[in-house]
Amino acid sequence: MTGRRLLSPARLVLAAVVVLAFVSPLYLTVVNAFKKEDDIVSSPAAPPVHPTLGNLSTALGRPDHLLQLGLRNSLVVVVCSVVLLIPLGSAFSFFVSRRRTRLRALVLAVLAAGLMIPPQVVLLPTIHILDFLGLDHSYPGLILSNLGGGYFSFAVFVYVGFMRAVPDEVVEAARLDGAGGLRIWWTIIMPLVRPATATVAIFLSLWIWNDFLNPQFILGPLQGQTITTGLYLSVGQFQMDYGQLFGIMFLAGVIPVAGYLAMQKQFIAGLTSGSAK
Amino acid sequence: MKPPSPPFRHTSQDAGLRLIAALGLLLYTVFIVVPVFMSLRSSFTDENPLKSGSNWIGFANYSEMLHDTQLRDSVVFTLLLALAVTVVANVLGLAFALLLDRTALSYRVLRTLAFLPQVVSGVIVGFVWKTILTQDGLLNTLLKSVHLVHDPVDWLGKPHLAQFSVGVVVAWVLSGFTTVVYLAALQNIPRELYDAGAIDGASTTQQFRMITVRMVAPATTISVTISLITVLKLYDVIQVLTSGGPANATQSTAQYIVKMAFTDDRFGYASSIAMFLLALSAVIALSVTSMLRRREVDL
Repeated sequence: MTGRRLLSPARLVLAAVVVLAFVSPLYLTVVNAFKKEDDIVSSPAAPPVHPTLGNLSTALGRPDHLLQLGLRNSLVVVVCSVVLLIPLGSAFSFFVSRRRTRLRALVLAVLAAGLMIPPQVVLLPTIHILDFLGLDHSYPGLILSNLGGGYFSFAVFVYVGFMRAVPDEVVEAARLDGAGGLRIWWTIIMPLVRPATATVAIFLSLWIWNDFLNPQFILGPLQGQTITTGLYLSVGQFQMDYGQLFGIMFLAGVIPVAGYLAMQKQFIAGLTSGSAK
Repeated sequence: MKPPSPPFRHTSQDAGLRLIAALGLLLYTVFIVVPVFMSLRSSFTDENPLKSGSNWIGFANYSEMLHDTQLRDSVVFTLLLALAVTVVANVLGLAFALLLDRTALSYRVLRTLAFLPQVVSGVIVGFVWKTILTQDGLLNTLLKSVHLVHDPVDWLGKPHLAQFSVGVVVAWVLSGFTTVVYLAALQNIPRELYDAGAIDGASTTQQFRMITVRMVAPATTISVTISLITVLKLYDVIQVLTSGGPANATQSTAQYIVKMAFTDDRFGYASSIAMFLLALSAVIALSVTSMLRRREVDL
């Protein structure tokens, strides 16, 4: 293989230099979040020699409570959306995965469109529909539209892949024991496809957490901000010193990054199984 | 041959499962399928949120699109960005994956780091890069301190330079993703293939071309398709980084739709552009996928 002849220490150094250069923008965010303004301006790339928590406390002490409110609102949207998407997506997938191949192929083709359609295409009609339901510019409206969007497609794709691998005999045996569809799905199938649930939960949480377009227009400016729209509004409109900016970015980004680091094994496994299909 | 499993019996116990499954399908229909047709209908009207009611105006929006230079520029920019970013992110992703395809702990740590650009939101990515790239930003501070430049470079202020900068940032975001996809593909290649190749006297370059490139072909299909679709939908990173400026040089078509709809209040016209973007995405995604799938077979 390419580079097999490269000596291993030299290879490791090369790999380390390349990757560290690649993530340097994030490195700058982390180190500068803990530096005083003068140190940031004079040597932005240096590690924090005189570390300070001042930037973080300034960011948290803002009178608009940007971070606290944004993180809380994002958490509400993510938890409600994902907790509802998992049963919806998995029940639908269980139903589809036990059907004939042709019907399954048709359903999956229609759902694939959900992954491809640019969200800008369905944004205006979605707002009209939510308006009709009396849910426009509200958290229930945003969450409801999340349940029906491309997120549902993703959940179904992951679940169907796993559920097709469950042998028919398992379902048959349960049925002979007198279990109904709901029981079989919840007590037998769901425990068997736990890795799929992990993948769905992790990726949907990340995407919904990072979503910007839908909160910006479906929720609108008056209902409080999620973390992404909050950052956009406060940081985008006012001139701000580097220290506070990096402090805010660090605190806003640290939750998804910590989640990723804690669950990176499932993260990579999910991405790998997804791309193998 | 095993007969297909019988459909569920129509018992009261199955009704619950059917209900949840049907609810899922209903929501998908209401928030994806119906909106596409509503958008299509709206594209033939002069719908405007400030006026009640709307008039059917036939193909007027579509013929206006033909003469809209801002739209044309945004389409050209979006397509060039999609092409450039897809090529760069996939070449870089495969190169990173080849470099990091080792099992030692140190390599696993580096792999973890390489995916990070995908984890933070586009809004944060936009702000961090903006802080780096503005005229008095961190990059110019660094370049001046090592005397590489005298006058600060306006990375985001000149049209062509700004387009280039946006490309770099988007390629950066996507490279984290492509790296992980290619790494997974590399790890599925049996070592024996390389051993057999070596015995047959294949050089490293030949082994790369004959084994690696062929074996990662399915990953290439996935990675290229997702890269293209991502750029065609792109909104948040550009919105924060340049807001489409300077002089609309970095305005993507997706952004232009949002601008027409929410800044100019032209829902009808925005819908016709949305229909165009939908058709463009479908044609690109389907043709590239089928082309790459054929390539998987041919290789």
